[in-house]
Amino acid sequence: MAPKVVICGVGALGSTCVQYLRNVDAELRLIDFDRVESKNLSAQWFVKQSLGKNKAEAARLQLANFYGAKAEAMNVKLGAHNASQLLADCALAVDCFDNADSRNVLSESARAANVPLVHAAISGDGTFGLVRWNERFTADREDAEGQATCEGGEHLPMIGLIGATLARTIQDFVLRADRHDYLISLSGVVRTS
Amino acid sequence: MATLNITYNGHSADYELPLDFATSDADIRRIAVEIVRSGGLRGLHIANLAQNAFASFVIDRLTGTDGAQRIYLRPKVPFGA
Repeated sequence: MAPKVVICGVGALGSTCVQYLRNVDAELRLIDFDRVESKNLSAQWFVKQSLGKNKAEAARLQLANFYGAKAEAMNVKLGAHNASQLLADCALAVDCFDNADSRNVLSESARAANVPLVHAAISGDGTFGLVRWNERFTADREDAEGQATCEGGEHLPMIGLIGATLARTIQDFVLRADRHDYLISLSGVVRTS
Repeated sequence: MATLNITYNGHSADYELPLDFATSDADIRRIAVEIVRSGGLRGLHIANLAQNAFASFVIDRLTGTDGAQRIYLRPKVPFGA
């Protein structure tokens, strides 16, 4: 039976990563409560036909329609009240959230449930990113609440680089239980553990 | 002793001279400014770098599986979705 991988947050990094997971030997569960807006089309893996749809459901439909790949979509906001249910029976959790509070809830829930968790994150100026496992990860907070990022499309190549690195990290875990961290800059991708 | 890695303005590189792993955050930020100003970091030479250029940066102290100690000075990464 294929392991279940839960992607938490299907926005810029999450949706970009998901497209590279279409042939991974795992069951995908996609979690997001947000909807696709026109501004998302320049930085996230969504097409015009997905406008207005829930992001998890839109990604599920795109995987199915474009590639015949299956995934489960959950239109829900992950919080302390439901995290254990959403992570139930999963072999790996993946954090692509956009705020420290949600990342911390997921970190604590994964530790409590003894579920491996890998995080992906990008800087506000789109020049730098991390893929890092939970045992070495601390969530960073925005410099100012509501700080803008990712919406103009300027950061799309870096989002692609981080999303692809995350997908490779997930693939390595599914195939060999490897857990490597990566630092991603405009200079390249460097393995740091 | 630890290797210092600095990421700034999209570039990332190691500094050749080792630092004490317990060097304070304030000292790491101060040293990093001097390194970048002096051209000591390959591919990243900014002579007029502001003294507070790394004020909001994060410092990670990590020990590899081989025991090697590394200090990463990097931008915050608050975003994902």
